[in-house]
Amino acid sequence: MKKKLTALALSAALTAGMLAGCGGQNGAEQTAVEVPTEPFGDTIKYDPSVEINNGEPVSLDLWEWGSDDLFQQIIDGYQAIHPNVTINLVNNPWEDYWTKLPLALDGEDGPALFNVHNSYHENLINYMAPLDIPLEDLEADFTGVGAHVIDGKVYYIDYGMMTGTVYYNKAMWEAAGLTEADIPKTWDEMIEVAKKLTIKDGDTLIQAGLNFNDDFHQNYLLGLNYQLGANLFQEDGKTPNVNSPEMQQVMQMLVDMYEKDGIGSKDFGEKGSDSFGQGQSAMVVQWGHYYNTLKTTWTDIDFGVFEIPTFDGETPYAYNRYNGESTFGINKNAPADQQAVAQDFVKYFLANDDAQIAFNLAMSIFPAKKSLADNEEILANPSLAVLAEHIDRYIWPGPMPATVETSLKKAGQDVFFNGVDIQTALDEAQANIIKDMENSTFTSVENLYAYASEKKA
Amino acid sequence: MRKKISSVILNIVLLLMGVVTVYPFVWMLSSSFKKNNEIMALQQHLLPQLFTVQNYINMNSRFNFMRFFANSLFVTIAITVVVIYTSTICGFVLSKYRFKGREVLFGFILSTMMIPWCVTIIPKYSMIQAFGWIDSYSALIVPAMFSGFGIFMMKQHIATMPDEILEAARIDGANEFSIFHQIVFPMAKNGISSIAIFQFLWAWEDYLWPYLVINTKEKQLLSVGLKMFNGQYSTDYGALFAATAVSIIPVLLIYLFFQRQFIAGIASSAVKG
Repeated sequence: MKKKLTALALSAALTAGMLAGCGGQNGAEQTAVEVPTEPFGDTIKYDPSVEINNGEPVSLDLWEWGSDDLFQQIIDGYQAIHPNVTINLVNNPWEDYWTKLPLALDGEDGPALFNVHNSYHENLINYMAPLDIPLEDLEADFTGVGAHVIDGKVYYIDYGMMTGTVYYNKAMWEAAGLTEADIPKTWDEMIEVAKKLTIKDGDTLIQAGLNFNDDFHQNYLLGLNYQLGANLFQEDGKTPNVNSPEMQQVMQMLVDMYEKDGIGSKDFGEKGSDSFGQGQSAMVVQWGHYYNTLKTTWTDIDFGVFEIPTFDGETPYAYNRYNGESTFGINKNAPADQQAVAQDFVKYFLANDDAQIAFNLAMSIFPAKKSLADNEEILANPSLAVLAEHIDRYIWPGPMPATVETSLKKAGQDVFFNGVDIQTALDEAQANIIKDMENSTFTSVENLYAYASEKKA
Repeated sequence: MRKKISSVILNIVLLLMGVVTVYPFVWMLSSSFKKNNEIMALQQHLLPQLFTVQNYINMNSRFNFMRFFANSLFVTIAITVVVIYTSTICGFVLSKYRFKGREVLFGFILSTMMIPWCVTIIPKYSMIQAFGWIDSYSALIVPAMFSGFGIFMMKQHIATMPDEILEAARIDGANEFSIFHQIVFPMAKNGISSIAIFQFLWAWEDYLWPYLVINTKEKQLLSVGLKMFNGQYSTDYGALFAATAVSIIPVLLIYLFFQRQFIAGIASSAVKG
């Protein structure tokens, strides 16, 4: 009897859960799609009157990770122009997408279109078909195209650039008696502001002025070197430059921030980003995606954003490193009719300003499309607005192998937790990266940066 | 007195271990009624400070929960039924028939249990690709038809059945096929229950293989759907916990129904026949 009752209760819970799960799939309301009739775009023009696949039905897959609604929106727009085309959207979990995609592309069942992340460049590039769009057209409309040219061909470009900005807690800012006028322009000013935001009870930290735990390597070590005029890679584009005097200076500043200035602690919150969301830290340097995390997870935090400070308040060689969000890849092994649609779809995506704005805002990244740099919708996002003035002063080193990040993370951990001196830790990181990159085809594209000639080291 | 103290200490230790084991599950269940900022908050509470069922309502935000659930149920039941049958019949042959190479064959079956699955996944994928089974349930069901563990369990279990019963059936004119279906199979219900629970659980929670071989959204399984809540930069913990809480109910139901036989089956399989 007892077993029956338990089973009944579980069955009822199951039914209730499933009924709840039935309701409002995707929650997206169907809206009428406006079908353009005139060609649109800047240099890359998309002509909706041109038939695709001779009007014959064709079906292909688009694999992606992330928001279905976002991708479906652009698919709906494209299919409204070409009703003979069916694009099946296949959502994937981020982590294992990179296991499945190369396996699928290696056979005959791979998707004709797939979402790309440049950190997996080496795993995917051999399966990709070059874009049919002339290089000069791509360069005319988008920034950073040159860094994607391989033997005169472009396989994907960046539709947006993600980088770091400073997020601050407005309530803590006000409580410390700070105003908009106190927004720091230099790291020294930043430390002074952080001191005012730091609250201690004796020696116990109650509120950190600045927290960079767990992400110092990505948000500081792999970026601030550029402010001091040093690239991450040496002249040959292959040898790392992570034990340079500039990198030592950055690491020393981080150590001093915690140990000398006392504006935070390695033991205060496992992750700086979470600590900020939990209302324990007043400032963090985070990349664009954090804006969305604050909007969805940490909804109680009233935050502001300002551009990352520099060492002397002057225009630096580069403010920071950025990473591009990539356009779709086209499977070179897909049937010809599917590849033709895939090429056309990418062109539609690049020419379509609404799609560009939607994708950039969804990721909180600054548009690579030049004509959208002063777009109102883009600038309404504070994490993008603060980048607008100097966006040309952000540099991309290329699709670096993961070892660059992981080796510098280890170096930082050795310095903070294991008492290793800065020079030794960075030398070890340098040696480790060289060893790991022995078989890598990576070559830095820092030499293609618009202000590359201003480099000091 | 000393025995009583030992018993009390043992029970306290077991209770503590039980709490340690169950607490994460209770926390997950409770957190499925919390908002994400409360789940991630610095000050943690077991019970929701602000109770919400929104996570359950939002379960469908990333995939068609009902569809994935039904797909998982179909594939899991199919695999479980097939494995029960193949394990029992193989276990019967290996325990009750004497033939040349029997021990070698059994050793080979045991060795399949010792090879890490990650070693075989690429060749298995290539084979499925060559057979043209990618994106079909054949890719999930056929490679799972035989279970080394299931055969091992059933061999051990059937070995405990008296040979005299089988001999008596033979004398009465039953053929080997009838002996298996009408005598061995019904008598092996405890072992079968154990295999059913294990196999159901493994097939239900299997993630990587279904993810690799199924492409079409409408055919995908629940375990893959649950992974969709893990984004590139963040995880929707509330929805993940809600979906997970509902997804484990079939496993609990299976265990509830087969609990007694499961324990008896495990006990008898542990005895060398």
